[in-house]
Amino acid sequence: MESVMRLLQMTDSTFPVGTFSFSNGLETAAYEKIVYDKETLREFAKSQARQAAFTDGVAAIAAYNQYKTGDIEKIIEIDEELIRSKMNDEARQMLQRMGKKMAELGLRLFPEDELISKWLEKIRGEETPGTYPVAQGIVFAAAGVGRKELFCSHQYGVVNMVLGAALRTVKVSHYDTQEILLELGEETECLYEEVLKLTPENMHAFFPQLDILASLHEKGAMRMFMN
Amino acid sequence: MAFDYQLGTRTPAPEVDFSRNPEMAPYLAPPRAMYVGAPGKHGYLRMGFELDKSGKTIMRDLDRRAPLIVQQELYFDEEMPELPCVYILSSGGPNVDGDRYQQDISLKENAMAWVSTGAATKLAVMRDNYSGLIQNITLDKGAYLEFMPEPVIPCRHTRFAADSRLIVDETATLFYSEIYMAGRKYYNEGELYEYDILSVTSHGERPDGKKLFREKFIISPPLQNPRQLGIMGEYDVFANVIVMTPPEMAEKIYEATDAFIDKEKKLAGGITHLPNNAGILYKVVGMEPGPVKQKVREFCSTVRKIVKGHPVPEEFPWR
Repeated sequence: MESVMRLLQMTDSTFPVGTFSFSNGLETAAYEKIVYDKETLREFAKSQARQAAFTDGVAAIAAYNQYKTGDIEKIIEIDEELIRSKMNDEARQMLQRMGKKMAELGLRLFPEDELISKWLEKIRGEETPGTYPVAQGIVFAAAGVGRKELFCSHQYGVVNMVLGAALRTVKVSHYDTQEILLELGEETECLYEEVLKLTPENMHAFFPQLDILASLHEKGAMRMFMN
Repeated sequence: MAFDYQLGTRTPAPEVDFSRNPEMAPYLAPPRAMYVGAPGKHGYLRMGFELDKSGKTIMRDLDRRAPLIVQQELYFDEEMPELPCVYILSSGGPNVDGDRYQQDISLKENAMAWVSTGAATKLAVMRDNYSGLIQNITLDKGAYLEFMPEPVIPCRHTRFAADSRLIVDETATLFYSEIYMAGRKYYNEGELYEYDILSVTSHGERPDGKKLFREKFIISPPLQNPRQLGIMGEYDVFANVIVMTPPEMAEKIYEATDAFIDKEKKLAGGITHLPNNAGILYKVVGMEPGPVKQKVREFCSTVRKIVKGHPVPEEFPWR
């Protein structure tokens, strides 16, 4: 029961790692009238979920798997591989900002955990980028939450971030976003099976439209969210 | 005489194998037609550019295996007459099932070159295996390469895997572009996104082995519809341009280049920084190859103006 409670706590949007301040390019997509209703929002969120699964999701699971070996050098390799594979500048900044917060919070909740404390030292010493999915993998493992649950939490976080921003930028209702959340949730199992086959060296992403929207946001003056 | 075969050494064509990529697993049956590695199905090309005694870049080293051919370097760039230009040609027509290619291009200190292909690269129908391409591009100190091939056109059931290793000194500049079409758009009723898989990886590193970035995209229409919003949406052509260049150049290029969505022309483009201060990444999507190629060329002109102080000339009317 404890692990379920912890899963809920760390997945909740009020868990203070800063998810609420990012829109993942949705703001620009809404402004450009590319996302304008429930249908287009569903597609957009689906792409975001898929993109995250095959990059961040792979890294989170790899870090989770390494937790029990305690091999911090291997975890640094995963962290660096993720940064090298993240082509969007703002996305890299977001991952690092949230990753540091996650590690700090993780240490506060589990002060006895040696690996979290070492990890935070590595981030502070700039010996590793300190991405969010890697910190998530470590903290979830330290909390005794399962690997599948970690992946679900990660995917939920990505989709919920987009849908939360959608309520403020797209003409959709809370009912619409909940329906989308339910629908995308049903696809998570399939994604998980595919992600398990991938090592960090096999992370991949092909989302040119999302990349272009993120770039417009990065270059543009109009912004309510960081990204 | 532009190149000297005596200087080049003839090496066996290296093995090109993607069987360890998990996404290629369904496409590893031996081809029923000509076997993998058969003469004419395993192309190899090695080109080495360097400065001669007068300081002009020449192609000093060349080795090749059919079906890849290059003619001698030509100096036809009106804005930069000192720039050697080379077209890579394939005498074999399209890439067919089980074809393997490797292209190694190196530029010595302060050398420069422009490399393209003579025509679009056509990828044929494949039934058993796949077509693979490995590229190694190495730039020494102060070198400058524009690599701007014509588009790649996959057709129904094409399987294509590519891996490009870009080893670039921190003082050199590499402009590396690729354009992928959705398919043979005007063939019969249209053949868009009917290929099996395109798996394309590019990784940048320094000569000392420091890894900088790795971009891998897998487009597999049977597994994920590329029409989904966020992937290609309504667009049919995709261009990806990697510019590895020192950070002060990268900053100027970033400032000089717009991100845009042109709804009228159905053309969009975005720019961002590569990880680890490696340079710039530029992407364009559109409906037809012409306007996308034009955008890539304009972007190349921006890069050349900032790095070399000259624009790229107008494209030849027959290209």
